[in-house]
Amino acid sequence: MKYTTFNQVNNNPLLEPMFFGNPVNVARYDQQKHHIFEKLIEKQISFFWRPEEVDVSKDRVDFQKLSDSEKHIFISNLKYQTLLDSIQGRSPNIAFLPIISIPELETWVETWSFFETIHSRSYTHILRNLFGDPSSIFDDIVENEEIKKRAADISKYYDDLIFATQLWQTLGEGTHTIKGETHVITMRELKKKLYLCMNSVNALEAIRFYVSFACTFAFAERELMEGNSKIIRLIARDENLHLTSTQHVLNLWAKGKDDPEMAEIAEECKEQATQIFLNAVEQEKEWAGFLFQHGSMIGLNKEILCQYVEFIANHRMSAIGLGQPFDIKNNPLPWMNNYLSSDNVQVAPQESEISSYLVGQIDSEVNSDDFGDFDL
Amino acid sequence: MSKNTSSFMVEIKHHKTVQHQPNKTLLESIEQHVEIQYHCREGYCGACRTKLLKGEVEYQTDPLAFIEDDEILPCCCFPISPINIEIS
Ligand code: FES
Ligand SMILES: [Fe+2]
Ligand SMILES: [Fe+2]
Repeated sequence: MKYTTFNQVNNNPLLEPMFFGNPVNVARYDQQKHHIFEKLIEKQISFFWRPEEVDVSKDRVDFQKLSDSEKHIFISNLKYQTLLDSIQGRSPNIAFLPIISIPELETWVETWSFFETIHSRSYTHILRNLFGDPSSIFDDIVENEEIKKRAADISKYYDDLIFATQLWQTLGEGTHTIKGETHVITMRELKKKLYLCMNSVNALEAIRFYVSFACTFAFAERELMEGNSKIIRLIARDENLHLTSTQHVLNLWAKGKDDPEMAEIAEECKEQATQIFLNAVEQEKEWAGFLFQHGSMIGLNKEILCQYVEFIANHRMSAIGLGQPFDIKNNPLPWMNNYLSSDNVQVAPQESEISSYLVGQIDSEVNSDDFGDFDL
Repeated sequence: MSKNTSSFMVEIKHHKTVQHQPNKTLLESIEQHVEIQYHCREGYCGACRTKLLKGEVEYQTDPLAFIEDDEILPCCCFPISPINIEIS
């Protein structure tokens, strides 16, 4: 079905499924099929923040004090986070918007992706402070094998759905041969790809960030790199909301509260969904191994971090009906909770040093004495 | 909101029974007594998801996190009767 930017069919959006119904026409929010997405939009907008509002200048001094193995941990984490947000800043828009059929979900996805771009901008803010010219760090993201391995696994479900959608939108259902390759496009196949993609995104938002978060907050526990930690707390708050949204989508499908065919697919592909999650867990553990290859840091090592990934995975998987596959019962990093709570995360001018605000202040503090040497 | 001034008993399965503290959320009331997970403390992450076995609670902020019909979010709810809960 060809995509149209304004569907002229006078359809009732309250009767549309979340995906693969009519394209959205009027962007209206006075009524919603699934109220949750409207509430998530409001909440996300209320979280609005700007990286420049967080003063990271003290981190530059801290960074020089870190050991080489700690520098490796810190910088590798930032590279991985940059990769994840590069993907998330565009992919939900490109993969989901062309097939979404209700306005509140469409706007949620746009709002969500917009916040991922704030995250990406904050990495530049952090790195520019540490290095002046962060080019070599960014360049390494497309060279580093450890990072590329993850990138391939995350983007493949998106890319698969995007390509199948493009074929469907231009050629319709059927068997299509493109450059010698045969592609069978049916609505059922498209929906399966969507289901797997949503699970992969859910796993990303649910656990992929948490190894990095733990390292960031372990530095902050030692009162190091606190500007960075403040930014990551703001990012973590947003990520929690993103995760909630993908959990809602998956559960609306599985419980038959949206497209009934998606409920069948959820049942049929449960094994694959579980595997996507378990693969993400394995990859995060491997990543912990890579981070600590030159040595641990105070308060954190590979074993504890791997236990934490399992602990988080248990929680996240049970939220979407996939059970608790790992034995771990108690949180191995209880201090993480303090950093993940919304208390004290707010960036308010009076309580945090705002660099852009200070810049303005310096500019305005030019008084008449400064012009003493000028004769007009 | 006024109902939150009462203090009901909270029976926690496999743990002790504790008394809900007036003007505190269920999470604030029970966290000194039992290990319970939380992240956001504002009802949007789902980390505190808990089974409500008996009784009733009320929310002051709209809970956004996904929960099953028999689950509650202690970080943003208050018991309005004696309750039985099970922490996962
Ligand atoms: S702690 Fe986040 S929902 Fe309760
Ligand atoms: Fe992000
Ligand atoms: Fe995200």
